[in-house]
Amino acid sequence: MISMNLADLFIMAIVYTNMVNPTITKEYVSYFVFFAPGLTITALFAAAFMIGREINMEVRREISHYMLSLPVKRWELAVGRVLAGGIRGIIYMAPLLATTLVITYIYTSVLPSLLQLLTIIVALFLISIGTSGLSIALAVSTTSFEKYITARGVVYYVLFFCSTVFYPMDLIKSALPQLTFIAQYNPLSCGADLSRAFLLGNPPFTPIMLIDIAFFALIFTSLAMVAYMKVTQK
Amino acid sequence: MISLRKIWTVAERDIRMFLRYKFLLIMRAIWFVSQISLFGLVVNTMFTTKVQNAVGGSYFNYYAAGIIITMLYSTAVFIGYDIYEEADHGVIEYLLSVPVSRKELVLGRSIGGGLRSFMYVGPMMLFVLYLLGVSSFLQLLLALLSLFLFTFGVAGFSITLAVSIKSSDRFDILMGVTDALIVRLSTTLYPIAFMPQYYAGIASFNPLTFAADLFRWGAGMESTALTPPLLSAFGIIAFFSIFTFLGIFLHERRLEGGGWQ
Repeated sequence: MISMNLADLFIMAIVYTNMVNPTITKEYVSYFVFFAPGLTITALFAAAFMIGREINMEVRREISHYMLSLPVKRWELAVGRVLAGGIRGIIYMAPLLATTLVITYIYTSVLPSLLQLLTIIVALFLISIGTSGLSIALAVSTTSFEKYITARGVVYYVLFFCSTVFYPMDLIKSALPQLTFIAQYNPLSCGADLSRAFLLGNPPFTPIMLIDIAFFALIFTSLAMVAYMKVTQK
Repeated sequence: MISLRKIWTVAERDIRMFLRYKFLLIMRAIWFVSQISLFGLVVNTMFTTKVQNAVGGSYFNYYAAGIIITMLYSTAVFIGYDIYEEADHGVIEYLLSVPVSRKELVLGRSIGGGLRSFMYVGPMMLFVLYLLGVSSFLQLLLALLSLFLFTFGVAGFSITLAVSIKSSDRFDILMGVTDALIVRLSTTLYPIAFMPQYYAGIASFNPLTFAADLFRWGAGMESTALTPPLLSAFGIIAFFSIFTFLGIFLHERRLEGGGWQ
């Protein structure tokens, strides 16, 4: 996964920089600099989403019954699983975030303030646990492997490609106007745009970005905990 | 004397096994749909007129054709993972005990690995060809025949690596890195004219470049092809021959004796 992410940044983004209309990315210095914060989000999302597959396997193989025999309360088990998925996302994303900071500093000579950096990290952590929660909620929603993979795939790729990770919002509005709503409130878009707001100055920061991410984390963490506790008791 | 019937029996087994990988099949199909209906459409609006002209008028068409090649590649390499699954469950030793020679085994696996990739991507390929339109069926047929060989070559490449390394973790890492580089350093996603020179040099000799150019030529997008079709076909034949030969050579020498990690 790391090699894929780095290849996306140091090969694909560099080539795309030579191809993209400069008027689209002039606010962001270049496509390469625009894409770097987005890459951090994709890495975080991919890593945090993985936990769902493991939990689905546990549910299908009834390994969850063993989990219940452990000296851990059910809600502690549920919180632990969601948190684990979130922390995995953060750990995996950390070197890519560092890379993004270096790249944006080289191109803009601007470093985010401590408060801005803290806000970025908190936002990314919330996206990570929200993603982990979403993945777990999907994983325990069905014991049918085929249904699970299909639901997982659709949710994953819609969130992934219908966001501002790879392209600015204006392009989504013009090319896929029917999906603008999803793209605007997609936590990946909010995370990517929030990072760009503090690292590149564009798009301007709005509190809606943080509120959206916080709601996403709250809703899916809660949903995942309740669903996981119910499923393990079956 | 190599028996075609035995080769086909081995290939047929690999084709049937592929249907068990529901996770891969469903995820790749959804990936394809999202690439065509989301990423490709938006990214098409991002590029300059110079790029659109360089790719024959529509980057979306160029990209859709390239996606087919990446799908063929990513499903054909899966045979290498099959080998590690089999090593884990002791199936390798069973396969060595059946009345099939080592050469027939590796040829059958290369053909099976390639054929199942082609069969799986076939409907998506037809859909993309429908989007692109086809100007010459003879050109298309020649391109498809070469793509057949391409998938066999990729399967042979995957088998060669799997049998040489004999460690599933190292194979995983190597395939991940190879996958990341081989797709992005080719003309599957973008024309070579816009790559920095150091990337363009590698892309010029990449078998995925040959396959992508040939497929686009077959679909009537001649102006977008970097390499003349004859040279592309020759490149694919060379790729297929090298890795099939290497696969046979290594399979005979490395498969026995265990040592799988």
